Amino acid sequence: MSVSGELIAFFGVALVAILGGVLLITLTKVVHMVIALVFTFLSIAGIYLLLSAEFVAIVQILIYSGAITIVMLFGIMLTKHRENDEPSKGGWRKFSLLLAIAGFAVAVYLGIYDLDIPVQPTALHEENTKQIGIELFSKYVIPFEVMSVLLLVALVGAIVLAKKDNEEGDRS
Amino acid sequence: MMENAWLIPIFPLVTFLVLLLSGGRLRERGAYIGIIFTLASFVLSVLALVERLTAPTYKTTMDWLSIGGTQLTAGFEINQLNALMLVIVSFVSLLVQIYSLGYMKGEERFSTFYAYLGFFTFAMLGLVMAPNLVQLYFFWELVGVGSFLLIGFYFYRQEAKDAAKKAFIMTRIGDVGLLIGIILLFWETGSFEYEEIFQAVQAGVIPDGSITLIAILIFIGAVGKSGQFPLHTWLPDAMEGPTPVSALIHAATMVAAGVYLVATMFPLFLASDAAMQVVAVTGGFTAIFAASIATVQKDIKRVLAYSTISQLGFMMLALGTAGYVAGVFHLMTHAFFKALLFLAAGSVIHAIHTQDIERMGGLWGRLKWTGPLFLAGTLAISGFPLLSGFFSKDEILMAAWANGNYFLFSLAVITSFLTAFYMFRLFFMIFAGESRIQAEQVKESPAIMLLPMLVLGILAVVGGYIQTPWFGTFLGEWLVEGNEAVLGSGHSEGPVWIMLLAVLIALAGIFLAYMIYAKTKLPREWLVKKDSTLYRILENKFYIDEIYYFTIVQLIKGIGLFLSYVERFIIGGLVTTVTGSIEGLGKIGSKLQSGQVQQYGMIAFLGLAVLLVIFALTGGYLR
Amino acid sequence: MTGVPLSAYLVLALVLFCIGLYGALTKRNAVIVLISIELMLNAANINLVAFSKFGVTPSITGQVFSLFTITIAAAEAAVGLAILMSLYRNRKTVNVDEMDIMKH
Repeated sequence: MSVSGELIAFFGVALVAILGGVLLITLTKVVHMVIALVFTFLSIAGIYLLLSAEFVAIVQILIYSGAITIVMLFGIMLTKHRENDEPSKGGWRKFSLLLAIAGFAVAVYLGIYDLDIPVQPTALHEENTKQIGIELFSKYVIPFEVMSVLLLVALVGAIVLAKKDNEEGDRS
Repeated sequence: MMENAWLIPIFPLVTFLVLLLSGGRLRERGAYIGIIFTLASFVLSVLALVERLTAPTYKTTMDWLSIGGTQLTAGFEINQLNALMLVIVSFVSLLVQIYSLGYMKGEERFSTFYAYLGFFTFAMLGLVMAPNLVQLYFFWELVGVGSFLLIGFYFYRQEAKDAAKKAFIMTRIGDVGLLIGIILLFWETGSFEYEEIFQAVQAGVIPDGSITLIAILIFIGAVGKSGQFPLHTWLPDAMEGPTPVSALIHAATMVAAGVYLVATMFPLFLASDAAMQVVAVTGGFTAIFAASIATVQKDIKRVLAYSTISQLGFMMLALGTAGYVAGVFHLMTHAFFKALLFLAAGSVIHAIHTQDIERMGGLWGRLKWTGPLFLAGTLAISGFPLLSGFFSKDEILMAAWANGNYFLFSLAVITSFLTAFYMFRLFFMIFAGESRIQAEQVKESPAIMLLPMLVLGILAVVGGYIQTPWFGTFLGEWLVEGNEAVLGSGHSEGPVWIMLLAVLIALAGIFLAYMIYAKTKLPREWLVKKDSTLYRILENKFYIDEIYYFTIVQLIKGIGLFLSYVERFIIGGLVTTVTGSIEGLGKIGSKLQSGQVQQYGMIAFLGLAVLLVIFALTGGYLR
Repeated sequence: MTGVPLSAYLVLALVLFCIGLYGALTKRNAVIVLISIELMLNAANINLVAFSKFGVTPSITGQVFSLFTITIAAAEAAVGLAILMSLYRNRKTVNVDEMDIMKH
């Protein structure tokens, strides 16, 4: 397998993504963890680009690296927490969890290893956003609308959850 | 009247239910309810008897259960024996209830007492009317319950409690024998009906060995109820109950149930010589055995109790020597004079508040009514000429002689002598000699108590005249009417000297008792020294209770101890192991329920991972 | 054209998923747990997009689906944080192992 630019790009991006994930596990300060995760999210956007999904990549950057990370940071700042997230006790628990994850990974990897699907030429990269738009508003219009309702519900629910206690707290 | 005879046991049952439901609120008024209903029973019984004198046997049944091809029936039957028993039972019950009105005065649980009496009377009447063995067994057990309740009436006294339990358990031993006998009989004949059983017996369907076995098993039931050796020990202890109860249950009715049972099943017994021998020998031995014990007892009621056992032995002896009429006749006369004696004894106890005859004496002048009545009963039971006991005892001696069993005959004669002796010993110790009680303490019983005694006294004197060698053998002929082939003739003929011998023996016993206890011409230790071995054996009732205690009771206690250890260590250990392991599991489980979401998730994922790994290793999607 | 094979993307997604899982099950801070769950969702998204290009029948549907997933993830993050806030107000903690009042 000759080394192509695509491969180099993939390995670079993948390395950054995994590094971010590992840092998330190993870092001790909560804020640092979130920052480490931003790298992962960004590199996942890069993966999307490699998979000729430009629109999803842009959405990934906007939603995850932008919105969700910021929301999480707000959450961290609004709650009083120990600066360091000291690991929970129970060595045997972590060990057995690692063992289980390893077993899971191996089992899934065996499945991936044997996977062989012939590559077909696709036209996903041509006017990607237009294709998604056509698909969304023709074939998936009802799920799209349901999704918008769900978002509304989540919005209202989040506000109610955050506000209700405030009133109670004021009264008491 | 016989169609409505089913009402006879219903009346006492109504008494029982009414008094039970009233919950003791009626107090002494409860007694009148009991007496009125029992009177109704008595009147109906008499009417039934009168009708039965001329009419044939009346029997009615209805289907109760049908199991496969077998029909179980329920109903009632009025034959000669049943009609006679109905009258005896309801009559004695009525008199005892009237008597109790005076005797139990001031008793807290007055209506409870009458409720129990009603229940017992119901059971006993039902027993004697039963047309088949299942129904008989049913009432047989109810009689046991009734007697248990009445003996244990003073349940707050330890002795009464023990006596009630003892009576219940000892009779239960006999009941098991009866039950097995009934089951075997059903196995052999396929029926519980008396008639079908007797037909099968006479047709020779049943093998001889089986008949003997069944008859002896049924006799074991009678042994338990009638207090025959070796199951007699409960009867003296049962004297812990109120005295009227002793008169009703342990003189006239319940103990007669065993005799009644043998008499009812008489054709079955006749079919087996061995069984007849067993009945006769057991009866004869019990008669002399109990009589010898009675000669040294010091408790007035215990003397009468042993006397009852002895007389029941007499009846068994009569039945065992084919003297059907003699046995039933003696059952009837005995019911009268023994009930009289118990009621009179109750009257004495009522007057001086002790049961120890060594502390009595000189009461003849003080108890102007009780004394002569007691004397009448004593004379009757001793076989004094021309009183009821004389005729019935004579009939038994004749039957034994006619049967040709001279050993049993001599046993009966010796017992007659002992009977006369111990009964007059009792009489003289109570009524003759120096008074040992303060005069003003002694009070004659009220009229309500004397009246039943008077009625019984008259019957004890004249009751024998329905069956005499001189004025006709009316009872016997009536009893065996239509059944002469089976039951034998109504009267056993015997040499005249037997009667003379009986009279002589009775007079000798009376004279001896007179010399020793009344005139004190002879020292009390003339017969047997007080510290001699024989005296001690007699006083301790041949150590039967002790023998039972050291053999059967200890054996059962040993088994019980062993089983209790099995229970405690093996069963208990198992149970503890089971509960412990479940508890341990629960504790582990509750530890898992820590409320930690991550732990839950982890365990769920662990399970998923294990499944996935197994899936991958065993093939799954790989192949 | 020799490109990056499908399995490479899938393995990357698997690694990220495992990391997210480990974080979600061991971290004590509830915010980090939430973020770990987002990471797991992202790993799933990679799979969707990868199959949309290299699947048996390549089509744009996978990308559309990943958009839906992202939307739901956003909603989940918002509601999760709101719950976290009210929980924090009541119990003064964001440590997951102290939130155990549901036991028994």
